[in-house]
Amino acid sequence: MNKFLNIIFAGFLFFSSSVIHALEVIEILGGKASQIPIAVMPFKSFGAQKDIGKINSVIKGDLGRSGLFYPLDTRGVAASPNSDKEVNFSQWKSLEAQFLIIGRIDFVQKEKIKVSWSLIDIYKQQTILSGEYVGKNNQIRAIGHKVSDKVYERLTGSRGVFHTKIAFVEKYNNKKFKLNIADYDGYNITSLLDSKMPIISPRWSPDGKKIAYVSFEKEKPVIYIQEIATGKRKLLANFKGNNSAPSWSPDGKRLAIVLTYNTNSQIYLINADGSDVKRLIRSSSITTEPSWSPDGKEIYYTSNQGGGPQIYKFNLESSEVTRVTFEGKYNLYPSLSYDGKLLLYLTQDQGKFKVALQNLQSNQVLKLTKGPLDEAPVFAPNGHMVLFVYKNYGKTTKIGTVSINGLKIDPLPLGSRQVQEPAWGPIKN
Amino acid sequence: MKFLKLENNDELQANLFSFAIHLALFLVMIFSVGWQTKTPYYGEVELWDSVPVQKKINKTQATPKKKIKQKQNTKAKKSAEAKAKAKAQKEADIKLKKKKAAEKRAAEAKAKKLKKQKAIKELKKKVLKQEKIDKLKKEMLEKEKVERLQQQIIEQQKIEKMQAELRESELKQQKKPALEGENEVKGGVNTGELNKYKLLIQQKIQQNVNQQLCGLDYVILEFRISLMPTGELLGQPKMTKSSKIKSCDDAVERAIIQSQPLPLPKDSGLFSKLKNLELKFHPNGVE
Repeated sequence: MNKFLNIIFAGFLFFSSSVIHALEVIEILGGKASQIPIAVMPFKSFGAQKDIGKINSVIKGDLGRSGLFYPLDTRGVAASPNSDKEVNFSQWKSLEAQFLIIGRIDFVQKEKIKVSWSLIDIYKQQTILSGEYVGKNNQIRAIGHKVSDKVYERLTGSRGVFHTKIAFVEKYNNKKFKLNIADYDGYNITSLLDSKMPIISPRWSPDGKKIAYVSFEKEKPVIYIQEIATGKRKLLANFKGNNSAPSWSPDGKRLAIVLTYNTNSQIYLINADGSDVKRLIRSSSITTEPSWSPDGKEIYYTSNQGGGPQIYKFNLESSEVTRVTFEGKYNLYPSLSYDGKLLLYLTQDQGKFKVALQNLQSNQVLKLTKGPLDEAPVFAPNGHMVLFVYKNYGKTTKIGTVSINGLKIDPLPLGSRQVQEPAWGPIKN
Repeated sequence: MKFLKLENNDELQANLFSFAIHLALFLVMIFSVGWQTKTPYYGEVELWDSVPVQKKINKTQATPKKKIKQKQNTKAKKSAEAKAKAKAQKEADIKLKKKKAAEKRAAEAKAKKLKKQKAIKELKKKVLKQEKIDKLKKEMLEKEKVERLQQQIIEQQKIEKMQAELRESELKQQKKPALEGENEVKGGVNTGELNKYKLLIQQKIQQNVNQQLCGLDYVILEFRISLMPTGELLGQPKMTKSSKIKSCDDAVERAIIQSQPLPLPKDSGLFSKLKNLELKFHPNGVE
């Protein structure tokens, strides 16, 4: 009986293996960095103000700016469907749309609205995500950013940064300076500090509650930390010489700063309360522009120890120094993506200053911008976008975003303001 | 002479008187005619083309006939003429002043007009510049769109080219049976043809894989699909191995669906080899 069973089992194995072998295998390597075509219809407004339905332009702006999406022009399309049951899928396929966002706005009570929305997969022909937000009339942009965040996360697997804040320095009347805070897309600007002396290097604390910056109000650069909610500030570093380039540790307890205490610029560590200052790297060369790795174990910085400025990293445990950039003679201003896999910096390429991105696994370098006078690049908290300063045709200075695939560069709508030194705040939970 | 022979004084006196009278009459006749022996007087005038009034006045003064007439007139007449002349001069001055003022106004108006024209020109220039910027922006968007389309066309052309090559090869195959090498026939199936179709399928799907949604690490995904002879999917793709990144799994699944219809041979023997496929994806390359 056992023999019989064995024969049957062997026969089954032979049969099944021959079926597996019969299946042709096709290997597909790589792909294409393309943008996902997405249609965002105007939201239907019921009892609310008419222009409030333009929330779709906020969502389109967000998704387009990320460089991963290609918002389609839906002006020629007839009425927006109310649900996936009403969607004419073949029509949307002919428009090359892969996804569709629809929504409605209901007037709930005095100055309060409810925004309901759905994300529809055109190929799967079904709703894959939907949600509701309730808020005040004047929060419509914020609600739009929230919807964008949800859609972005569902389709890319990464958290959206459309509901975050940025900080930047504005020079006005040619001699005064403001430290401003705004939505990531440049809307809703408020001023945190007004000074007659220059302000540089604003850096958000990891919890997004404070900003460290360098001020020249003591007729030399000194470092302050200011609370955003209260405006209360304290002097962090006012040592002999220059105090500059603050960088928060990922836990927010310490900062790496640069002092010219003894000789030239050197990196020091200091507790966020101003105590326990110690020199980090002992070098006769200049070491400056520190930036922490997300795990807090390494500090990337710029040094001229090899001649021209290049980026190095310092291991806090082993004190080992490793050179990181090799392409080009002039690389500076390092910062790391949230996952520590990408290094962002400024590079000089054919006499032009451009924003460069280096994959720290493959060391492959991608130049995100064309220059010629780009400066101060910083990562978005999800590492998918970069905020940087560029000179528009060599004349006016603008702050803009660039997607890390380099497909989309967008200036922030800051008008004729003289702006510089941007910093991107964290994603708040 | 006869008269010298006259003997009485009365006759001589009468002759002398007669002679004196005739002489006097002759003189009167001579001097009363007033022969013009001097060169006629011509007034010096400036001829202003732009001041027609002045010109008119000068014309009057410059006529020699009228000048002679004036000389013959009485003092009163001369005075009246002078007054009229003065009046005319005054009027001419006023007219000149008015003319100058008018000219000044005209010049100002002209300057104003020029300024306005300049402003309009500037505005037009600005508008044109803005239009140019808008046009550029539009062109860039269009360019982006066109580039996308071109890319698709190029890809389509590639596929069509390969398909054409394949058809040609099929025709050759029908005429000349394969002997050896890549067109080897195994189990009734031409392996060369099979590999060509596998390559076509691979290329079509690869173009639709959005690798950006698969992170940076090495990942691998596997799907099984069943196909209809038309190249359409029979049911949904079945994922047998996940990348463990939801957005990546979804992106690859979308790429398969989007690639319909897949290129398939008409030959039923070949089709039966390709109707069930295992697709192995390495979106970020191999390790």
